[in-house]
Amino acid sequence: MGTNFFINDNQDVLIEILKRLDGRSLGVAACVCKLWCGIARNDSLWEHLCFRHVSQPQEGVRTVVLALGGYRRLYMVCVRPVLNRLRKWRPIGMESDSEIVRRVYWTRHEVELSLSLFCVDYYERVLLGGGGGGGGGGGGGRHGGDGARTTSLMFLCKAVNV
Amino acid sequence: MKRDQEYSGGCSSGGGGKGKMCWEETEQDAGVDELLAVLGYKVKESDMAEVAQKLVQLEQVMGSVQQDNLSFLANETVHYNPSDLSSWLESMISELNPPPQHDPFTTTSTYDDSSFDADLTAIPGKALLPQIEIHPPQSKRFKPSTTTTELSSSSSTMPVWCGGGGAYQSDSVSTRPRAESTRPVVLIDSQDNGVRLVHTLMACAEAIQQENMKLADALLKQIGFLAISQAGAMRKVATYFAEALARKVYRLYPSNPNDSAFTDLLQMHFYETCPYLKFAHFTANQAILEAFADKTKVHVIDFSMKQGMQWPALLQALALRPGGAPSFRLTGIGPPSHDNTDHLQEVGWKLAQLAESINVEFEFRGFVANSLADLDASMFDIRQGETVAVNSIFELHQLLARPGGIDKVLSVVKDLKPEIFTIVEQEANHNGPIFMDRFTESLHYYSTLFDSLEGCGGSGGELGPVSDQDKLMSEVYLGRQICNLVSCEGLDRVERHETLAKWRTRFNSAGLEPVHLGSNAFKQASMLLALFAGGDGYRVEENNGCLMLGWHTRPLIATSAWKLTG
Repeated sequence: MGTNFFINDNQDVLIEILKRLDGRSLGVAACVCKLWCGIARNDSLWEHLCFRHVSQPQEGVRTVVLALGGYRRLYMVCVRPVLNRLRKWRPIGMESDSEIVRRVYWTRHEVELSLSLFCVDYYERVLLGGGGGGGGGGGGGRHGGDGARTTSLMFLCKAVNV
Repeated sequence: MKRDQEYSGGCSSGGGGKGKMCWEETEQDAGVDELLAVLGYKVKESDMAEVAQKLVQLEQVMGSVQQDNLSFLANETVHYNPSDLSSWLESMISELNPPPQHDPFTTTSTYDDSSFDADLTAIPGKALLPQIEIHPPQSKRFKPSTTTTELSSSSSTMPVWCGGGGAYQSDSVSTRPRAESTRPVVLIDSQDNGVRLVHTLMACAEAIQQENMKLADALLKQIGFLAISQAGAMRKVATYFAEALARKVYRLYPSNPNDSAFTDLLQMHFYETCPYLKFAHFTANQAILEAFADKTKVHVIDFSMKQGMQWPALLQALALRPGGAPSFRLTGIGPPSHDNTDHLQEVGWKLAQLAESINVEFEFRGFVANSLADLDASMFDIRQGETVAVNSIFELHQLLARPGGIDKVLSVVKDLKPEIFTIVEQEANHNGPIFMDRFTESLHYYSTLFDSLEGCGGSGGELGPVSDQDKLMSEVYLGRQICNLVSCEGLDRVERHETLAKWRTRFNSAGLEPVHLGSNAFKQASMLLALFAGGDGYRVEENNGCLMLGWHTRPLIATSAWKLTG
């Protein structure tokens, strides 16, 4: 008699798998069921995603990022759009245009820029925006009928809330 | 004929020496039609009839020419009968599109509408009249005595040469109501009109410089029509410049924007829509960060505090620097607020909250000052062992309005003994002594700036109406600068932009030497610009250690860093 392997019973395996996914897949995974949603929202997964291909991120980055809104938000609001835009901007070299191979190239400068923009976003959203309505994703918040609320990251892509 | 008499009169006095000749010429010039003069034709009012007759003759010849190389004149030209004004108007009205809605900023709504048709016929050039430039009356109908008195409802700028056809003008009076009700817009070829618009703007500025307000007034009306025919950036720029010129002509000077809260709001929108302020902040921060390497107590003095948008990024960079964050002190300078809120303290408090969340020791102090020249070094309470940085974004040029202002501020800066003094200023020459030069320069500068704004608008229109509003607010922000630059004088004119070369000379003679902004700043700036949708036109340039941000080939703002010599 065989034992059925049910992934939901083996959350550590699930986490290991999710760790290796890209952002979009992680978002899709979060739509599967409540359990997966809870796991996918775990900030450490997103931290892993953000800094996967960068050598040892500096100490203290985690404290700062968590204070400013967490890795998931960092990815949504800054990292993903920055990489998307800059990938098109920077000459790709010998890589083909195939979407299957999507490698995340992070350099120190991109990290710094993303973190700076993230900090500006936090300042505007939480401190200048009156502290309320900051949730609902960067894109959703922007449309919230209040003309006075502005965000300086609107020039990046509209963020998709998982 | 009257004309012959004048001619012989001119001849006889011609021998009377150069000075007298000049006087004769200016007297003769006094009688020329002012609108044709704008185009470069000096036609005396008394000669208008003759010129008109000749044009009729020319047209008759054109219609009947048979030579090979000129036969197209007969076959392809369309001949209008100028004495039949009513049917001509009808054909124009039916051919052309209905007029677009008036732009709310256009100045034409303030002008006397009853003279609409008078000016319609007064617009020179192919735009209005495809084949003929003026209405030559038939010689039989010529009544030299009838001039503007027939058309009493017109303003005084009613061109007199229309009076040469006084008789048929009275015919056209009956068609006037019909023409008014449909208000034809007769400007078709917009490229041609773009050039004409620029020339008319310059001519108007020239007229103002020569204190010829009547001419300026006439030209302003034309600018209104021409501006409507344009689209996009050119239209907006022309509208703002026209408004500024109108203020200058009618002496409706804008009250100084004392409402600093509104100015701050406009600047916030400008911050979001386009990269200029972000570029300024990021490059200045990079310079300050490098100057603060290995320092444990740092103090930044900000001449341009506003909403404090520059400092979160610096605080974050300091929090993450390898040796840990220094203790950070910020002194912000701002204008007095007109409601009872302490704006500076609010901003300081918010920055303090941010600093606390990222574990940076933070202290804030705010100073309210009407002008930077009112400050003294002793006010800042520089402590032992502190490393000082001074930062000024788009503030120094305002000091040039007061004599001695900039020197006072530079001496205060030197007394503070800063490790670095970061400055961002507009890269333009808007402080020359001659009005025309300033006008021309600023027209080009703001045209480029508005062009770059056209591309920004959020990412691909996803953000819809919000981004349009932001864009509009940014345009208002720039429009205020234009208004101040063009229509104000003396102490009121604060937008006195100067080029980097001039600032360099000034700082060098004040005892400051440049600090080169490194490649990190350059890379970060380039990356930042690449993020902007529609940002293909932005260029970062390095200029002797300073960074310039421009649109295509035109540099628009420049960041530079300075320290004390020796």
